[in-house]
Amino acid sequence: MKNLRRVFRYYVVRRLISYFFTIYLAFTLTFFFFRLIPGNPIGAFIVSMQQRYSTGVLQSSEGDIVERYKEMFGLNGSLFTQYIKYVKNLLKGNLGPSLTAFPTPAQKLIIESLPWTIGLLGLSVFISWLIGLIIGVLIGWKRDLLFSKLIAGLAIFFSQIPQYFFAIFLVFVFAYVLFILPSSGAYDAFLRPGFYFKFIASVLKHAILPSLSIILASAAGWIISSRALVISILNEDYLIFAEAKGLKPFTILRNYVMKNVLLPQVTGLAISLGFIMNGAYIVEWVFNYPGIGRLMTNAIGILDFNLIQGITLLSIITVLTANLIIDLILPILDPRVRSGQ
Amino acid sequence: MRQTQFDPKLIIGGIIISLLIFLVLFQPLLNRAIIGDVNPLTVGIFPIYELPSLRHPLGTDRFGRDVLAVTLLSLRYSLIVGAIAGAISTIIGIIVGFSAGYKGGLIDTLLRGLTDTILVIPSLPILMILSAYVKALNIITMAFILTIFSWPFSARVIRSQVMSIKNASYIDLAKLNYMSDFEIISLEILPNLLPFLGVSFAGSVVGAMLAATGLEVLGLGPSGITTLGMMINFAIGQGALSMGKWNLIFPPIFMLILVFLGVQLVNMGLESTYNPRLRR
Repeated sequence: MKNLRRVFRYYVVRRLISYFFTIYLAFTLTFFFFRLIPGNPIGAFIVSMQQRYSTGVLQSSEGDIVERYKEMFGLNGSLFTQYIKYVKNLLKGNLGPSLTAFPTPAQKLIIESLPWTIGLLGLSVFISWLIGLIIGVLIGWKRDLLFSKLIAGLAIFFSQIPQYFFAIFLVFVFAYVLFILPSSGAYDAFLRPGFYFKFIASVLKHAILPSLSIILASAAGWIISSRALVISILNEDYLIFAEAKGLKPFTILRNYVMKNVLLPQVTGLAISLGFIMNGAYIVEWVFNYPGIGRLMTNAIGILDFNLIQGITLLSIITVLTANLIIDLILPILDPRVRSGQ
Repeated sequence: MRQTQFDPKLIIGGIIISLLIFLVLFQPLLNRAIIGDVNPLTVGIFPIYELPSLRHPLGTDRFGRDVLAVTLLSLRYSLIVGAIAGAISTIIGIIVGFSAGYKGGLIDTLLRGLTDTILVIPSLPILMILSAYVKALNIITMAFILTIFSWPFSARVIRSQVMSIKNASYIDLAKLNYMSDFEIISLEILPNLLPFLGVSFAGSVVGAMLAATGLEVLGLGPSGITTLGMMINFAIGQGALSMGKWNLIFPPIFMLILVFLGVQLVNMGLESTYNPRLRR
């Protein structure tokens, strides 16, 4: 037992090292990739400033001004000095000013968008997981019924359709043909954000279509995998034994089948939750939803380096953290992994 | 001897894919039959916003172009982009996957590290940046951009197949006969993996088309041509949704779903036909 604990501690340390190393590697790769993009965001920014406040002063000392702004955005000096400077600021929790809403710091914009993405995607991913798990287990358990086959076929069909196709279809039907749900935004523009009934109702109403499009697309995947997991254990000896013992089908389903399905599916859920920062860019674009995806799309449009880099880093860390948590918790939950089988 | 039972999924998928290949190959002829001998992208040859009729089965768009003819041309270009990207990533996948799987060692470690890292980096933003800031985005550059994120996965699955086959007894026999590594790979392993490589290629094509469609829907497609994703972007941009113009937006979506579904059905069908454990 003591030996086992030492093995586990060794495993945790090794896993943590690889966690930090992968974050560092992915961050560094993306940093240099972004800086190598041809494009002159500062130039474009200054031109737009000049158009807005057209004065002769700007033109006379333009070189100076470009240098000052480059300094401010961390874009002056060699790539390597830019990198060092960025990492130094990053460790202080500063992602630098954004171009999208100059001079608001990038981290502030990200934090403002975060609740929308986490709320919309987190909930949608969880709901689709739950629906998929229940339906998948049931149609796997009764897989010879015509109904089960029908649902399984439908799930295969739905799983091949990208989320934003559902989004387009739902907007078309519910917002423009039936006129019963809003087509864009996260809440009615005339409402002030706050915790009162009218605002919350408006948020929920605006969330129905985007979350439904995510649920329709991803529930199908969960149905397929849950069904396959159930079918793979249907012929196991312990199930036949439980049946022979005369246990009620529901008891078998709850105590024997679910136990086997739940563990891999919970793992899968955690991994999908880790990917929510990377997901739904196009769904957010279709609905003009003010989440991380729309922020990133806008940032790419004007080459807002600090914002792009910040969001990318956030996605990388979220994905890796979800994986880390799984890898650390799984040995505690699963007796098979624990004993090293 | 028992006859091989073909899964109905394989048959349905095969029919869908054959139909699509037919549409792509005979696109010029079909185009002539629908609108005559003109480029479907020519502006203003027909009245604008016509509803579907016998003359224009899917109506016309705001530039007076026949939607069916444009859809068929877009299908052709979309599949070409997907096929080029799929071919490049399969070729890279074969080279890297074979060296990693057969030789192991450093290449193997590097490949695993690379796929793990790439899996973590959000791919859509990177692809968006590349397609937005690459000068002269055409079919070929688009295909190369799409390959960046897809080849490591081809390499990874091909590697695992090579690993599973390299310890077979006929490979040992070949080694006893003093065949070189190159001979073993090209004469023994490659022919045995051909069907698998075909499936892997189809998977890469679909992956590339999915990524390409995402970019094009956001308005980042190659210039000068039309693809299914660009049709969707164009229709949304012109307000087809709010005007209730289903005939502008759903044909390209329908075609893309057919492509994705067809390949997936063939994959699943092949697996359950040749992997008897799944067929119960």
